[in-house]
Amino acid sequence: MAEVEVVVVAVRDIFQDEAGRKSLFSEEYKSLSALIILDKQDMAGLAVKDGDKLLAKNDAGSIVVAARASKDDAKEAHPGLAFMCSSPWYNQLVSDDSCQGSVKATLAPTAEAITAISEIQARMKS
Amino acid sequence: MVSAMEIYMLLPKTNCKKCGVATCMAFAVGLLGRQKKVDECTPLIEEKKYEAKLKKLREVMAPIEKASETGLIIHPEKCFGCGNCVVACPVNVAAEPTRTAVGLGPEGEKVILRVEDGVVVVNNLKECKRFGPSGTLCNACTATCPSKAIEFV
Amino acid sequence: MAICTGCSLLCEDIVASFENGSLKHAKNLCRKGHGHFQAAFTERTRPMIDGEQVTIDKAVERAAEILKSAKSPLLYGWSNCTEEAQSEGIALAEKLGATAEATIACTTSFCEGILMERVLSGKIETCTLDDVRNYADTSIFWGSDPSSSHPRHLSRFSYYPRGEKRQRSYEEERTCIAVDVRRSPTAQLCSNYYFRLPPGGDLPFMEAILAVLDGKIPKVADKKKMIELATVLKKTEWGAIFPGPGLIYSLQDKMELFEQLLARLNEITPFKVVPMVADCNARGFNELLFEKTGHASSVSFNGGSAAYGPEHSVLAAAKKCDAVLAIGSDPLSELPIGTARALAHQPIIAIDPRRSLTTDAAKVVIPSALIGLEAGGTAVRMDGVKIKFEPVMNSELLTDEQILARIMEAV
Ligand code: SF4
Ligand code: SF4
Ligand code: SF4
Ligand code: SF4
Repeated sequence: MAEVEVVVVAVRDIFQDEAGRKSLFSEEYKSLSALIILDKQDMAGLAVKDGDKLLAKNDAGSIVVAARASKDDAKEAHPGLAFMCSSPWYNQLVSDDSCQGSVKATLAPTAEAITAISEIQARMKS
Repeated sequence: MVSAMEIYMLLPKTNCKKCGVATCMAFAVGLLGRQKKVDECTPLIEEKKYEAKLKKLREVMAPIEKASETGLIIHPEKCFGCGNCVVACPVNVAAEPTRTAVGLGPEGEKVILRVEDGVVVVNNLKECKRFGPSGTLCNACTATCPSKAIEFV
Repeated sequence: MAICTGCSLLCEDIVASFENGSLKHAKNLCRKGHGHFQAAFTERTRPMIDGEQVTIDKAVERAAEILKSAKSPLLYGWSNCTEEAQSEGIALAEKLGATAEATIACTTSFCEGILMERVLSGKIETCTLDDVRNYADTSIFWGSDPSSSHPRHLSRFSYYPRGEKRQRSYEEERTCIAVDVRRSPTAQLCSNYYFRLPPGGDLPFMEAILAVLDGKIPKVADKKKMIELATVLKKTEWGAIFPGPGLIYSLQDKMELFEQLLARLNEITPFKVVPMVADCNARGFNELLFEKTGHASSVSFNGGSAAYGPEHSVLAAAKKCDAVLAIGSDPLSELPIGTARALAHQPIIAIDPRRSLTTDAAKVVIPSALIGLEAGGTAVRMDGVKIKFEPVMNSELLTDEQILARIMEAV
């Protein structure tokens, strides 16, 4: 199956922030956090469309997130560069080196469910 | 925002003139400018083969029909509540030189734009620089919006 | 009037009314602030020990016992506490440090702390946001996206309002520049002056600016745009730079180059720096700790002296601590998984008005009054301006400060 290597940059989004303030445990917060914005080229490379699920993994850990195509036009294409909001999901991919604004990860399509916050909580306790 | 071309694609394209203008394209422009109403294209309403087109046309026209007389449409669901438009609007600035003009939330009732419950709301649209036949092409509110939450048709 | 503690802008012009346990109406709160106010009515905590509900007295008593018997407690968070609570926290760390190794660290200890330390020590010149509004004709958002993180930054201070020397403001007098890895909502507003960098591209970009300022050819693809930038910078009368996480990540061990760039810019015209810290009183903690110890974001107290350095960092402390006091932040949400896991395996005392990943994993949960809404006090805006506020909602809950004072008494 197709795999793509990307650099995932942590970004901020006001809607995700708003959802997290109301509840970290809501579906809304999950759907806005467990979401990776990819360049159209990478979407094609992975043969996924908006809403398809991807397993993102690296040495620090792994998560299942939904894919979404970036709205940037061709002039600003960014193959190999992906964006996720700062959140407990993003932090699953961050190793312990302090102060990281971006991480490398490998993406592959998956049939698994989007990682639930309860799963992240269980991992911390394990 | 939809273009006249996109609207045109949803019309019968027969140029039958029943709507009172010469061509379907002219009618599309009329719809966009809100001088015409969808129902004036009688073939589209009456003939069953246009059913799907009619449905789609009503969908794309909904926001345009909601637009105020100045053509201003707001999309509260997209709004950040950042207040950029509030502080930039020349009418707001003139109404509250010691508040809105210097970045604070408006206090009085004279402003056009304000932020309530986290999103923009519009009042006093008659004061808007675009209002009426002699209106100017002010775009201070759309140009300063980070989220396209304000549009003109 | 209420203030909003949703971000480090601490907006003071909020009008809010409450009814039957909900927010009825609010004026001037941005979307983020509105979410923050609504949060007062969801996911509130109760006093708990090991998942069982207890009285607040029992929870405080247990917290004190845990801290008293710990050999290397970590007191983490603080960025969303009042200065009054932060002072009490630093005093608690000192007291615990008399007989143990107590580390106190705030949320900026991972990143912004190093830049803030330069600002507080005067090595990097800063200014207030009111100065920016009154005088700035050039603002640079570098690795920051205030439209998303501090939504009213541009409308209150940096781009759209009129100021003393800037009556024609954004229409004619102000230029905003965005330097970022993507066309963020802020970058869209700076359309002509958006510079897109690859991750880690900040250092070459600084070198390129230094080169064009000296009339040399910059080593970048779009030379014309770089030269335009140099023209804007040279014409600037009063400039402000707002570094956000995107830049600060790159500065970890390359602060000299940034300082060199600032020195060069300041030869031309004043250029001030205001770090874009996120949480409402992150700067307050930095200031208090810096005054006391000379370090802004984390120190260890041990046998009466304060130690600082990599071996006393949060990461190191997280790995070796045997008890955690989390307050004014949610470390289990915010920290890298390895560090979060290390903390989750220690007994955690979570002082938090609302449920979080940290309160879920905590041994002891102590509910507190929400800063700004239920608890009054002092907080420091991102630019160092102190803001005092009174609570706007009635609450029976103890404030962070009161809880810490009770723990202090019992340890
Ligand atoms: S009535 Fe309809 S079909 Fe006829 S010209 Fe007008 S728009 Fe075209
Ligand atoms: S068009 Fe101009 S006057 Fe009208 S609301 Fe927008 S900014 Fe104000
Ligand atoms: S409409 Fe746009 S500019 Fe106005 S408050 Fe909303 S997001 Fe900001
Ligand atoms: S900008 Fe920050 S402080 Fe101001 S209303 Fe929005 S969240 Fe609150």
